[in-house]
Amino acid sequence: MKSWKMIFIVCLLVVSQVLASCAPAATPTEEPAATEAPAEPTVEPSPTTPPEPVDIVLWAQATVTEAGAPPDDWVAYDIIREELNINLTYVIVPTGADGEAKINAAAAANDLPDLFQMVSANNDNRGALLRLVDLGLMAPVGDMMPLMPERVKLHYNDQLALDLVTFYGEQYGLPEPPPIPKREGLVIRKDWLDKLGLDVPTTPEELFAVAEAFTTQDPDGNGKNDTYGFGGFLNGEGLGTRFDFIMGAYGVPGVWNFTGNGDFGLNVRSENYPEALAYFKSLVDAKVIDPDWPTLTRDDFRARWKQGSFGIMWEDFAALTNKSNYEPFDTNFPDAEWIPVAAPTGPDGDTYYGVYTGRGQIFGVSQKAADDGKKEAIARLLEWMATDGYYLLGFGEEGVNFIIDDNGNISTEGLDPVQAYTAPERQPYTQMRNQLIFYNSEQEIVARYPTYETIAGRLMDPMAFLGFFQNEPWVDGRGIQVILPPANAADFNRYYTEGLIQFVLGQKELNDETWAEYLAGLDSLGAADYEAAAQQSLIDAGLLK
Amino acid sequence: MTLKTLPPISRSTEKFSLKNFFHSIWRQRWLYFLMMPTLIYFAIFKYGPLWNAQIAFKDFKPLLGVMGSPWVGFQHFETFVNSFYFTDLLTNTVFFSLAKLILGMPLAIVCAIALHETWFLRYRTFVQTVIYLPHFLSWVIMFGVLLVILSPGNGLLNAIIEQFGGDPIPFLTSPNHFRWVVIFSDIWKETGWSTILYLAALLAISPDLYEAAAVDGATPLQRIWHISIPGIIPVIVLVTLLRMGNILDAGFNQIFVLYSVPVYSVGDIIDTWVYRQGVLQFQFSLATAVGFFKGVIGLVLILISNQIAKRVAQQSLF
Repeated sequence: MKSWKMIFIVCLLVVSQVLASCAPAATPTEEPAATEAPAEPTVEPSPTTPPEPVDIVLWAQATVTEAGAPPDDWVAYDIIREELNINLTYVIVPTGADGEAKINAAAAANDLPDLFQMVSANNDNRGALLRLVDLGLMAPVGDMMPLMPERVKLHYNDQLALDLVTFYGEQYGLPEPPPIPKREGLVIRKDWLDKLGLDVPTTPEELFAVAEAFTTQDPDGNGKNDTYGFGGFLNGEGLGTRFDFIMGAYGVPGVWNFTGNGDFGLNVRSENYPEALAYFKSLVDAKVIDPDWPTLTRDDFRARWKQGSFGIMWEDFAALTNKSNYEPFDTNFPDAEWIPVAAPTGPDGDTYYGVYTGRGQIFGVSQKAADDGKKEAIARLLEWMATDGYYLLGFGEEGVNFIIDDNGNISTEGLDPVQAYTAPERQPYTQMRNQLIFYNSEQEIVARYPTYETIAGRLMDPMAFLGFFQNEPWVDGRGIQVILPPANAADFNRYYTEGLIQFVLGQKELNDETWAEYLAGLDSLGAADYEAAAQQSLIDAGLLK
Repeated sequence: MTLKTLPPISRSTEKFSLKNFFHSIWRQRWLYFLMMPTLIYFAIFKYGPLWNAQIAFKDFKPLLGVMGSPWVGFQHFETFVNSFYFTDLLTNTVFFSLAKLILGMPLAIVCAIALHETWFLRYRTFVQTVIYLPHFLSWVIMFGVLLVILSPGNGLLNAIIEQFGGDPIPFLTSPNHFRWVVIFSDIWKETGWSTILYLAALLAISPDLYEAAAVDGATPLQRIWHISIPGIIPVIVLVTLLRMGNILDAGFNQIFVLYSVPVYSVGDIIDTWVYRQGVLQFQFSLATAVGFFKGVIGLVLILISNQIAKRVAQQSLF
């Protein structure tokens, strides 16, 4: 009998565990169930009883993905609760496809958070918003704008951005200012050039020659054949954006022809496109580009340049020059030096650095939150983030994590280095800064990208790199934001990208016949319709005449 | 020598009555109680969601819910079957599934027999631990390990190839090699784990049979051939039948982590396509339809395989 009792107790425990695991995940605040009809108007609380706190769930990407979320005892949560009467639940969503899948899953369950950031595997945040709008899951936010005047002035002041999040006559998105524009660029190892007695390349041919020398002439002088000319990785459609300086030399940067030369459409329609591909293929054939480029992730790529694997690359100015990012490279190669390089000029005189899309983060409010009467509280929170909460969420507590010096600049002078807002330990506390807090003011930029001395005593000025990149010839591709993916996006994107990669890697021979076959295949997948729809969207948005 | 087979399940010839049925349940109530957690798990996570599978035939709208979304018949099935890469996806999926089964299973059996035949207990424990370990690594970690080994730039294997005068091989981006990378990395990761099942089956064989065979002068190989292998045939049949039901599951996690654009032609499988077209494009009805399609194919294959196994090997699931 005793054994039966034991079995009974064990089974009870197992069943309770199973049932507990089936229960919804515990959240600090209970979320109201979704309702199809708008909620009844909330009853005004009597003056003698304090109003119930509003629960707001915020989903946003992290600024530093590896740093993690702020802890539960974060002082900001208490301040938001006390000053704004809001119980904030802040959830960090993954970037790219993982983040999009998470939001889509929540949308499918009609369980979107109250305020959240659009996430798209193809950086098509506007398309992601429109899809949710069409499903009736998003609330118009135009009526929230008067409730947050300071935020509107600092964040939502770009009419084009506002127009792009307006559908069917209603504003559905809160378009945050885009990151610093044109912030990526071409850089080269000056110390390698000097060692080999080479000049800075200005044409594709010269780039090839330098890349070949970097690959074969042991530019780091370690006696090993372990360097490559180019480094890179694939991101986005086609060959991605990391090699647009090459395609730009042939007048075909990016997926779409926004250059104003010739008709609007897919760049692959251009006669120059196969020529550009042939040049790219010559880099691959000559093995002057890191052969792992098609499989590397961005993190792998960054680890490699910090290990001195290659001498020419396209990189974000902050990822390259910010002290915390540059330090590992500086430690490995204190005498090394990266310098910015101008866009190479192609055989027909074309020269484009890349395509500026102007894409920024877009936030939205779920219809569920609006039905629950939370829009006013969300507006209150956003306004606070742009005013009283700005420094707390962007930098931390004044006097502890940062100070404002006599010139009005944000500084960490005299502070405990571990407590300084720039310290890795403080990164979880400022995770919202790039998504909801910063708006590219001069004070911010000076604080974020200070000059410093390298180990060898050379002055490193991130802003000098940024200035150089921004002054290069970029194609204005902001219109890409209104182009929606085709219905068969998975097949179309695969065919488009796979074909180009196959040509470049030599998996498919590149000649007139195979190129014509490739274009015919694109047409069989509806390329012409896609182009026509894209053109019409641009015309409708007033971005193409 | 007679084969040891599982005893047939006795079937009552008594006429069915509700009273007898409940009486039987009451008599074995503790056994049923022990089964409760499993039954609850299956009810909640396996059978409950089947209700939502109806969205495969609907144009699912979250606001309208599963019941309220409009019916569209077989539209999503047609979309999938008529998709540009349908044949490629099906071929790749079946290829990976079968290759993993055909190459992976014999290796696991060989490993299990080898471990079973080993007399040095410590050595056996050590080998078991070593071959189980990769199972506990995620595919993300495995990708990092594979990149270190297979990278054409500085990979270990390519360094060896170059030492012998060969050209580096882009294993992860070459369509000619990628499939083998997928198959062998799966075998590397999962063979050790798969041996557990066969080893358990081998340990269940009565030692008397081995002793009697040894007395009769049977060599170790003969003992393996005439005792060990026949003894685990029911398990082999069981595993094969179950794998046939999942023939269209080629390992999403593995492929998703390992594949890249240059090898889409040989690496893209049904599940990765569903992820791109169904989940990321918010076509959950399409994704469900493909899941339904896979389930039906799997069920048909299980039924056919079961009949074949019953006739050929006198073993079956049901």
